[in-house]
Amino acid sequence: MTLSVAGLSKEIGGRQIIQEITFEWAPGEILGLVGRNGVGKTTLFRSMMHHYVPEAGHVTVDGQDIQQVPSRQQQLFFIDTQYNFLSNYRLWELPDFFKAVYPRFDEQRFTALLAEFKLDRNSQYRRLSKGMRALVNLVLALTSNATYIILDEPFDGLDVIVRENIASMVIDEVADQQKGFLISSHDLNELDGLSDRVLLLKDSKLVRDYNLEDIRAKAKKIQLVLNDRVIPTVLKEHSQLIRVSGRVLVVVITDYTPEIDRALKDLNPVLFEELPLTLEDLFRANLAHETGYQLMK
Amino acid sequence: MFSNKLDRLIWRRHRKLMAVIGGITLLGTVMMTLILLHTLKQISGSDIQIVSGSIHKWQVYRGSYFTAYSWWLIFAFWLGGLEIMHLDLRDHFNEFLFSSGFSRLKVYWAKLRIALGTLLGMSVVIIAIQYLLYWLSKPAGTTFTLAWPGLITSWAMGLAISIGMFSLSWFAALIVGQTGSLIVTISGFTFSLVGLSGIGGNILSGSWLKVSKAALPWVGAGTWLVSAVVLFIWGAALYQHLSLEHNGEYLLFPRLRVPVYIVFVVYVTWLYSYDADGMTMAVAFILAALFGYGWLWRPRLGEKWHQWRESKQAKE
Repeated sequence: MTLSVAGLSKEIGGRQIIQEITFEWAPGEILGLVGRNGVGKTTLFRSMMHHYVPEAGHVTVDGQDIQQVPSRQQQLFFIDTQYNFLSNYRLWELPDFFKAVYPRFDEQRFTALLAEFKLDRNSQYRRLSKGMRALVNLVLALTSNATYIILDEPFDGLDVIVRENIASMVIDEVADQQKGFLISSHDLNELDGLSDRVLLLKDSKLVRDYNLEDIRAKAKKIQLVLNDRVIPTVLKEHSQLIRVSGRVLVVVITDYTPEIDRALKDLNPVLFEELPLTLEDLFRANLAHETGYQLMK
Repeated sequence: MFSNKLDRLIWRRHRKLMAVIGGITLLGTVMMTLILLHTLKQISGSDIQIVSGSIHKWQVYRGSYFTAYSWWLIFAFWLGGLEIMHLDLRDHFNEFLFSSGFSRLKVYWAKLRIALGTLLGMSVVIIAIQYLLYWLSKPAGTTFTLAWPGLITSWAMGLAISIGMFSLSWFAALIVGQTGSLIVTISGFTFSLVGLSGIGGNILSGSWLKVSKAALPWVGAGTWLVSAVVLFIWGAALYQHLSLEHNGEYLLFPRLRVPVYIVFVVYVTWLYSYDADGMTMAVAFILAALFGYGWLWRPRLGEKWHQWRESKQAKE
């Protein structure tokens, strides 16, 4: 089972918003989609869902074009956070709509999750806070039981506790390899520990498709204090400086080899400690120049 | 109530507003009926026929105290077309429908089927209530006698006009993406039809086509139905290409701007200068061309003038 996006392009008002976007996505994967604000993340989702009619390209599910076989769309879930019809309805009314579209919609779980998150089922969607709406969107996404779930900036406006809840729910959902998530964010920290792969949008194009496991297998983040104040050649050549605090250097080495390890230890550092590598570190070290990531911050 | 999921979904979405339209129509019809009944009560004398003898003829019934097919029903169809097409755009239900797993064509025809079906059912109920009200509340000394020829003809004609009106507002709501502008556009066009029907009648009964006066209403009904079918089919073709990034713009299909402009200028010029001299036609043409340009392209003339004035002052 695979969802393929092939050569998807969309122009709005004479401006190319997304251009020849191509990627594949399988159940069990959590894909992160990152890019600066306005780079076309939401337009990509809207074009995938055919809210926008793309100028070129298509989306297929298991080889079937969703425009030719529209019922395949029921395997995709996306709620547009900006434009959706939910505003006028009370939460208890929403399953009526989603049941008609998602054959495996789980109404019992919907009610249970509303109760778990202390969301009043009699509340009107538009009367909810931004964070509560984001929660309702997520609850609908999870209970739709669609195979491919798209979440657009799902953590926006949520407090830390809820964020953690959502992240763990998403991870639980993919555990049985029956569902996949595509999560957009302009904040890499939100995707840290969540995404397996990161797609990077820049200048309306998909410029990178990173498998984080592969990158993490080769990279290391090290905190060290050297005897000399001079930065040694091995670090200059192979590392990206993340932080300097007094004599404490924090570096990321994207391709950490035994030779580099030996060279560093030969320097007899006063402190040599491996730190957990975050997604942000990887982007800073590896991709900052080519992606304009620093501008994202 | 509905066997398939798409129909259920569309009904679930529109049932409340359809009920509101039904309520308004019923209220309007009942009010009109009560006013007419009250008028009848003011008239002295006996043996007053509420329905005149012409009800026995195969022609649209027109009487002083009874309307076989209420104008409120035509209004309900007009409003129904507007509601079911425009509110899905305005409230972003189209986003949900377009990713619902049902083809756009299926969605389009299901919406049309449900809207027309509901409005037809509503018409039957409201007509029945209206007639019943006459029957139960007719003043003493009056008689209320109906006959099939006049009723069937009036219903057929009323339905033809209603479906035509529905198709107009339905189609307008499909191509216009702004609520206020849509209401102004479709209201303006609907009122212009009064003038158009007069001119159309003159042309049809003129020396060239020679359509008899008795046949004129039927030609009118046929024109309404053919126009409705054309608009429904054209709408189906357009609906498949509706891209929601244009939501909120005056025209949801930017490529229609020039054709709409040409049709508008020709229509308005013709309407205002029919049977008039060349000068009137020239003035009507210039005004229509200028208004149409301003309406469809919305040039920010005021803003540009201020910018020009500011830049001029800065240079000085």
